[in-house]
Amino acid sequence: MPDFNHLLLALFQALLLLAAAPLVSGMSRVVRAKMHTRHGPGPLQDYRDLVKLMQRQDVQPPSAGAVFRLMPVIMMATMLVVAMGTPILTRFSPISACGDMITTIYLFALARFFFALSGIDSGSSFAGIGGSRELTMGVLVEPVMLLSLFMAALLAGSTDLGSIGAAIASGHVHSLTAVVVAGLAFAFAVYIELGKLPYDMAEAEQELQEGPLTEYSGPSLALLKWSMSLKQTVVVAWFVGVFLPFGSSLELSLSGVALGLLAFAVKVIVIFLAVGIVENSVARARFRLTPQHSWLGVGIASLAFVFYLVGL
Amino acid sequence: MTILAALPDPLVLLLLSLLISVFGGIVSLLLRSSDDAAIRVAGLTGAASAVFGLCASLPSLSAPARVFEAAGPYPFAHFVLRLDPLASLMIAVISLLSLVSWIYSLAYVREYAGRGVGAMGFFMNLFIASMVLVVAADNAFWFLIFFEMMSLTSYFLVIFDQDDEAVSAGFLYFLVAHAGSVLIMAAFFIMANYAGSYDFADFRTSTLPAPMNSVVFLLGFLGFGAKAGMIPLHIWLPRAHPAAPSHASALMSGVMIKIGIFGIIKIGIDLLGGSGGILWWGVLVLTFGAVSSVLGVVYALAEHDIKKLLAYHSVENIGIILLGVGVGMIGIAVGQPTLAVLGLMAGLYHLVNHAVFKGLLFLGAGSVIFRMHTKDMEKMGGLARSMPWTALSFLIGALAISAIPPLNGFVSEWYTYQALFAAALDGTWMVKFATPIAAMLLALTGALAVMCFVKAYGVMFAGPARHHHVDDVREVPLPMVAGMAILAIACVALGLAAPLVAPVISAIASATIGSASIVVADGALLIPANAHQATLSTPLLMILLVGMAALPVILKSFLGGGRRPISRRALEPWAAGYLPDSHMAATAGGFSQPIRMFFRPLYDVRTNIAGGWDRVTIAFERFVSFARRTEPCWDRAIVDPVTQHVGTVGRRLQAIQGGDFRIYCLYIVAALVVLLTLTVR
Repeated sequence: MPDFNHLLLALFQALLLLAAAPLVSGMSRVVRAKMHTRHGPGPLQDYRDLVKLMQRQDVQPPSAGAVFRLMPVIMMATMLVVAMGTPILTRFSPISACGDMITTIYLFALARFFFALSGIDSGSSFAGIGGSRELTMGVLVEPVMLLSLFMAALLAGSTDLGSIGAAIASGHVHSLTAVVVAGLAFAFAVYIELGKLPYDMAEAEQELQEGPLTEYSGPSLALLKWSMSLKQTVVVAWFVGVFLPFGSSLELSLSGVALGLLAFAVKVIVIFLAVGIVENSVARARFRLTPQHSWLGVGIASLAFVFYLVGL
Repeated sequence: MTILAALPDPLVLLLLSLLISVFGGIVSLLLRSSDDAAIRVAGLTGAASAVFGLCASLPSLSAPARVFEAAGPYPFAHFVLRLDPLASLMIAVISLLSLVSWIYSLAYVREYAGRGVGAMGFFMNLFIASMVLVVAADNAFWFLIFFEMMSLTSYFLVIFDQDDEAVSAGFLYFLVAHAGSVLIMAAFFIMANYAGSYDFADFRTSTLPAPMNSVVFLLGFLGFGAKAGMIPLHIWLPRAHPAAPSHASALMSGVMIKIGIFGIIKIGIDLLGGSGGILWWGVLVLTFGAVSSVLGVVYALAEHDIKKLLAYHSVENIGIILLGVGVGMIGIAVGQPTLAVLGLMAGLYHLVNHAVFKGLLFLGAGSVIFRMHTKDMEKMGGLARSMPWTALSFLIGALAISAIPPLNGFVSEWYTYQALFAAALDGTWMVKFATPIAAMLLALTGALAVMCFVKAYGVMFAGPARHHHVDDVREVPLPMVAGMAILAIACVALGLAAPLVAPVISAIASATIGSASIVVADGALLIPANAHQATLSTPLLMILLVGMAALPVILKSFLGGGRRPISRRALEPWAAGYLPDSHMAATAGGFSQPIRMFFRPLYDVRTNIAGGWDRVTIAFERFVSFARRTEPCWDRAIVDPVTQHVGTVGRRLQAIQGGDFRIYCLYIVAALVVLLTLTVR
């Protein structure tokens, strides 16, 4: 079980990501504006949006039940718990009892379950279709995530996210090629999980009126928007913690954590800049054709599997 | 536990439980003229018998095996009951599920009033008793007798509705169940041939030579696999389980198909233990498990009938259990007892969990059908408002079966993943190749199960109502709510108290394999034998989830300030300017449409398999009609001429007995004359 310092670090990580999430999504808006060659809002705009929404009235559709009301809270709580178990500032997971790769994947499934269910509960047809698509994307992405992480875990001899990251950072893996290829497959899966173009399926603004978000308003919408950007940050932190843990602190000290924070900030900014460039230079993929894209992910992950079996 | 230990010998309790069951069944049958009395007698005796069953099995979970021997009517087959840890686990599961079903039946069976509820109570009681006897029997002959009894009694429950669908589903079930028992019989006879008796005790000690042990294993695996409903032998399951009354479906899907798993463990690990495991047996079990899990859930997604959907999920979960059992058998074959115990433990844990949440879901479906009188999900919707307790229980069951942390389904799937991982870590090439693929397919299964149960709960309980009797629908009676609540609490408890439950199940697994026990829990932590490999703590996860849920609530009130107006309900959901209609909301068909589109080849496979089974059925029907046509040949050739001639002779003879007194006198005189001439000469 975690001791007090680890618990404190976990709490710090969760609050840090929660506080930084609107900044990350604000930054994406800045990048988009730059690529459209227009003057967009500043990177702090999402904070202002959230505060404003918090003060608005909450309007619920007539058929909505408890699931619809509770979903934003469940979603945010789940993402915070994932953030507590992921190795972000340190090489090890602050709470390894919920920092297992399988636990993390299934915690994302918990959020997905309620996110999609709220779509049906709202009674809106757009939200229902959005929920269905969210789960379909889960079906297409989760096997890729599991297989690529499984390869890295086999090479590290542990399914604990911290141990995998530590093994990769120290180079104590039998097959470097397999790790790199598995990392590519995982990066692809993570990109789909971000829900950005071209895989903006469930919350497609132009097509589905933001899917399950359609009927939310006021503080619920604020919490939900916040949770969505938190999820994007957590997913990227998950990738960074496992496959790019370089720079994170090896032990639990104040200076180490501070340096880890700096390294993490740099990595996240670089990744989101790259994501922003990709996102704004492609069109939406056709939903019917997404399996072809996810087969690519399965293909890369299988390649890692082959490299692992051969031992290259 | 101290109270339980003070009770008499578990075997006495077990026999008592069986006697009460049989007695209750007979009395229920005798009282068939009064429905109320029959329901009450069957329910209360059944519940009492289940309580005795629990008292017998719970203390024996971690006790050495106890054996009861009685003189039977057959000199070649001893009547032996053996209460070992594995049998105790099965009896505990059977008893828990039957206790809940009986409580539930007190209100639910009124739906069937006037249609022979006395007979239903009789068959249910005998069905449960025969399941208990199958797992406890320690002699091949008696095992087969009780196995047949179990199939037969459940057959009568399947055809209870007596409509065309139920009768044809029952026929298919009967056919597959007997094909399975023939294979099992063949396996046991080969073993008996080598062991010299029908006692399982002799089976365990005897060794079978090399090709014969594989033949026995294959026969047993396919025979019990048909009972378990693994693909491609599942064809009867999605038709037979929905046809039975819901509390019987809960028992069939929750418990009876587990007897198939029990049989596979019994034959592959327990009885053939002396002959040593062979690697490909484990890999075969693993392969069938992976295929069953993916195809089961893919087919479940396409269903609109809630009970069929749940039945297909049983196929899926049987697959997941087989993954664990397969790893266990691989562990035995490669001589890694730790891996063997971990794998079997994962399988057994999922067996228990599946019994609990599938029982819960079938009872929930039964409650909805009790009020809505339809199994079609498209005709439901918005039931959470009128049936809140049913909805909450069903939601817990849906979360558990989707392996959502921190509920019980997640814990056992986590152990299954860890067992697959441990097998892949240091195995032979074949194991290294098979286990990561199995893990990936398990992830696919998990994601599909989430989709399926979001659809099931969402279309039934959430959103707008798609039916017209909104005002008539209300919560089900108390006994039904109580039955569901017990299982919902069990789902949560088996998840959160996993650090207490896992060591017990691991001890059962190691006792079954006969190797040293492994560490699966340390304090509140769950460990897959090796703490470096991974750790998990479901209680901590629950605390963190609840604790973190406070944060958004605080944020909402803190950032909202005091100026926010109170929330209100809109009149209608937004429909892009069109007039919203409840039929615009998500439907079961529309929700799963992407999967049906993306996984079309897998559905085509089912059509082909079903075509194969149809050919078998058609061939059987042809045989029957051939028999019907050939049977009269005997009549025409032999019986008909005889009867015809006898008739003619009779009619001719009528002429001599015209009824005239004088003619009879003439006969007598003539007879006297004839006799006189014969004797005097």
